[in-house]
Amino acid sequence: MDGILIEKKQKKDKSLGKYIYRSRFLIMMIIPAIVYYILFCYVPMYGVLIAFTDFSSSEGIMGSVFNHWIGLKNFETIFNLQDFWRVFLNTIFIGTTKVIIAFVSAVTVALLINEIRLRFFKKAVQIIVTFPHFLSWVIVASLFILMFSDNGSINQIIRGMGGNTVGFLSEDHLFLGLIFGSDIWKEAGWGSIIYIATMAGISTDLYEAADIDGATRLQKIWHITLPGIKATAILLLIMSVGGVLSAGFEQIFNMSNDMVEEASEIIDTYIYNTTFVSHQFREGVTTALGLFKSLVGFVLVITTDRIAKACGERGII
Amino acid sequence: MGAKLEKLPLNKKDKRGPSSKFGKFDVVLLVILLIYALAIIFPFYYLFIISITPQDIYAESPFLLWTPRITFDAYQSVFENSQIWNGLKITLILLFGGTAYQLFFTVITGYALSRNKWFGKNFVMNMIIVTMFFGGGLIPYYILIKSLGMTNTIAVMIIPGAIDTFNMLLMRNYFASLPKELEESARIDGANDIQIFAKIFLPLSLPMLATVGLFFAVGNWNSWYNGMLFNQDPSIRTLQQVLQSIIVKESSMIPSVNPGAINNESIKMAAIFFTIIPMMCFYPFLQRYFVKGIVVGAIKG
Repeated sequence: MDGILIEKKQKKDKSLGKYIYRSRFLIMMIIPAIVYYILFCYVPMYGVLIAFTDFSSSEGIMGSVFNHWIGLKNFETIFNLQDFWRVFLNTIFIGTTKVIIAFVSAVTVALLINEIRLRFFKKAVQIIVTFPHFLSWVIVASLFILMFSDNGSINQIIRGMGGNTVGFLSEDHLFLGLIFGSDIWKEAGWGSIIYIATMAGISTDLYEAADIDGATRLQKIWHITLPGIKATAILLLIMSVGGVLSAGFEQIFNMSNDMVEEASEIIDTYIYNTTFVSHQFREGVTTALGLFKSLVGFVLVITTDRIAKACGERGII
Repeated sequence: MGAKLEKLPLNKKDKRGPSSKFGKFDVVLLVILLIYALAIIFPFYYLFIISITPQDIYAESPFLLWTPRITFDAYQSVFENSQIWNGLKITLILLFGGTAYQLFFTVITGYALSRNKWFGKNFVMNMIIVTMFFGGGLIPYYILIKSLGMTNTIAVMIIPGAIDTFNMLLMRNYFASLPKELEESARIDGANDIQIFAKIFLPLSLPMLATVGLFFAVGNWNSWYNGMLFNQDPSIRTLQQVLQSIIVKESSMIPSVNPGAINNESIKMAAIFFTIIPMMCFYPFLQRYFVKGIVVGAIKG
């Protein structure tokens, strides 16, 4: 009895050893990735412990955990802050609006391009409208600031037509409009690509059958094209929900100015400003802020995924 | 019988059916798309025109669709600016060095994860997926980079970007879509995994390598975030950072060649245009690679 067991165990060990030995070259190829993800993703995750300490950089993370552990006090500090709630609501508002706008504009552009029949024109339009995606926010923000500033071309036109200077960069609601507008300008074309590809995959039989029934083009869009991209749309929406709280640091960092900070400051720019610019908070507080953001983002993704699955759609997890 | 019928050549019509004549609907579409395309192009055009407009004409009527007199003085002062050239140098280092480095690590990881059944694969895969949903945030990352001694180095703009999860999964999906028989027959001939990868799979995936390489190249050309966060030394600023300091900070750090002859605005415009022009020249020819990347990535990923 024992003999058989030992034999079995030996056999298993041997085959495990063999398995590892057979995998050795692939393991060699994956080692850099393991090192990379541990160093640049998992070490910062372990670093969130800072959020529960009064971090002292001379003592390092472990030293701070042992000597300066203050539990949830940093979170208390945040939640008692008037500024935090303003920034949090800004983030939710800007992030949510952006997700909705990005979705609607991408689908609209995709429908327009998909319906065009002049092949050359279609191609040219696609090249033009996808281009801004590849510019950095530094450039796009510069372009928009130069065009919409008080002396920019847009205000020149308005004054030329007898109007008064419009403070696109100094009035809250106009500036938010500019944030959303520049986001559409930059990303709508690129966002449409994936929908156009999905539309190309819809069976032509459906369109032929609709023709026989005498459907108009709008009816075909409504009853065939849109349902055809539903699965892709839901998938992309779930994925973008996780980014709601990110709301676009690069864009707002480059476009914003002191006059509109009240309305356009988001969690990420707030963390950056209070840590590196004004030094208002110690590392512990801003780490707690970042951790709070990550957690809420994570919960949002899981919740959306559950809701999508409950509605009979394919989720992502 | 039924099967035979299906194979009969059908009447080949326009795939959208009989209403294939150019109707009112098409005209409306055409107009909307034309306006949209013009809205994309106009800022670039305006930028260019201002950048070649002499000061006196700009002062009279700053809104121009065409300039009666052309001057390249603004470009001259951009070209004579050492910060811009230095920025270009740093950006080119990132563009070539960084892209090669990222491509190497991203592709080998993608290949390893595309192979069936090997020791540790699921563990690594899960480890990577977790990072897609959760991260440590800015401050722990900053402390890490600082403790690695990477602040104020070019390395900080390259090293932390070794593997991009999206591009890695793109490569993985592509490798997985290639026929399994390739690997099996090579193994019978005695090749090991690294040989199979380098001699068989890599040459077959050049189009996908081009796509992923281009994504990295664009990222490097646009790089400013890590530089801004970690580097205070102005001598290692990227082109984008230089641009940021010129425009966003509104400072006239570029002394003009001939003060008074050029307006500050045109120098700014010229500097932006200088940064965009390489992409504008290449993009129309490379667009299909980018499109392929996102389509393959989304459908299989």
